[in-house]
Amino acid sequence: MDDLDVHLSAIVVGDAAAFGRWLACAEAPVRASLRSFAAKVDVEAVLQEALLRTWQVAPNHKPDGRENSLLRLSKRIAKNHAIDETRRARSTPMEEESLERAVSDADVGTAATPDPFLRRWIEHCRALLAGKPAEALTARLENAGADADETLAEHLGMRLNTFLQNVTRARKQLAECLAKRKIDLETEMR
Amino acid sequence: MGDPGKDRETLIERVVSAFRARDPHGAVRTSPAWHDLDESGRVEAFDLAEKMRMMEAAIDGEGLSTTARAVLRRISSSSS
Repeated sequence: MDDLDVHLSAIVVGDAAAFGRWLACAEAPVRASLRSFAAKVDVEAVLQEALLRTWQVAPNHKPDGRENSLLRLSKRIAKNHAIDETRRARSTPMEEESLERAVSDADVGTAATPDPFLRRWIEHCRALLAGKPAEALTARLENAGADADETLAEHLGMRLNTFLQNVTRARKQLAECLAKRKIDLETEMR
Repeated sequence: MGDPGKDRETLIERVVSAFRARDPHGAVRTSPAWHDLDESGRVEAFDLAEKMRMMEAAIDGEGLSTTARAVLRRISSSSS
């Protein structure tokens, strides 16, 4: 496993590009650490907020000498934010037992580096996409979360539901193409 | 009347998107579509998002997913 703290000295002085290099490997394990909260909170929102907070507190972070100290801090920030959101969303008393179970499951996932073999096949399968599904998926990828789906659909001249159905079609075609090549994303992620 | 299966699918697709609005204090907001899903739909959206981000990062020149790019864009807009 890589020690992502190699980026820390640049991150603490405000180097956003270094934070990007850290994010490229840290996002997946932080997201995976929130799996047990998936039914209770919008993990994408919690994750983005936690990663932003990680950037904000990084200048004051003191490494403890063990590897991946910033990644471990980020997981703690994410877990605590998920707990806060879970409690905030409930008008009735919290099911403490299920929350404790989620918390105990939250320390999983290690820093990962992209597999060039996998990258090649995903690019190959994406190149095979055509028509409206390809347009919709490309819009999602290129926009990278900057705009709401309504805006993306409008730019492509599609109704919102048509746009979303095209994204679904593209995703399913990608998965089928990868499956034909015996690539199981579940296995690749573990 | 709409097809409930299709409605569920499009709700999940919206939750899978990396786009999230901000509240007046700048905090990341929960997707409105997430509230409309039951627990199994929310877990399905999590699983799909995890796979999509992995694929996005794999084909991105810098290894960044749409989530990572959304976070970096937010950082750069708050520092400028």
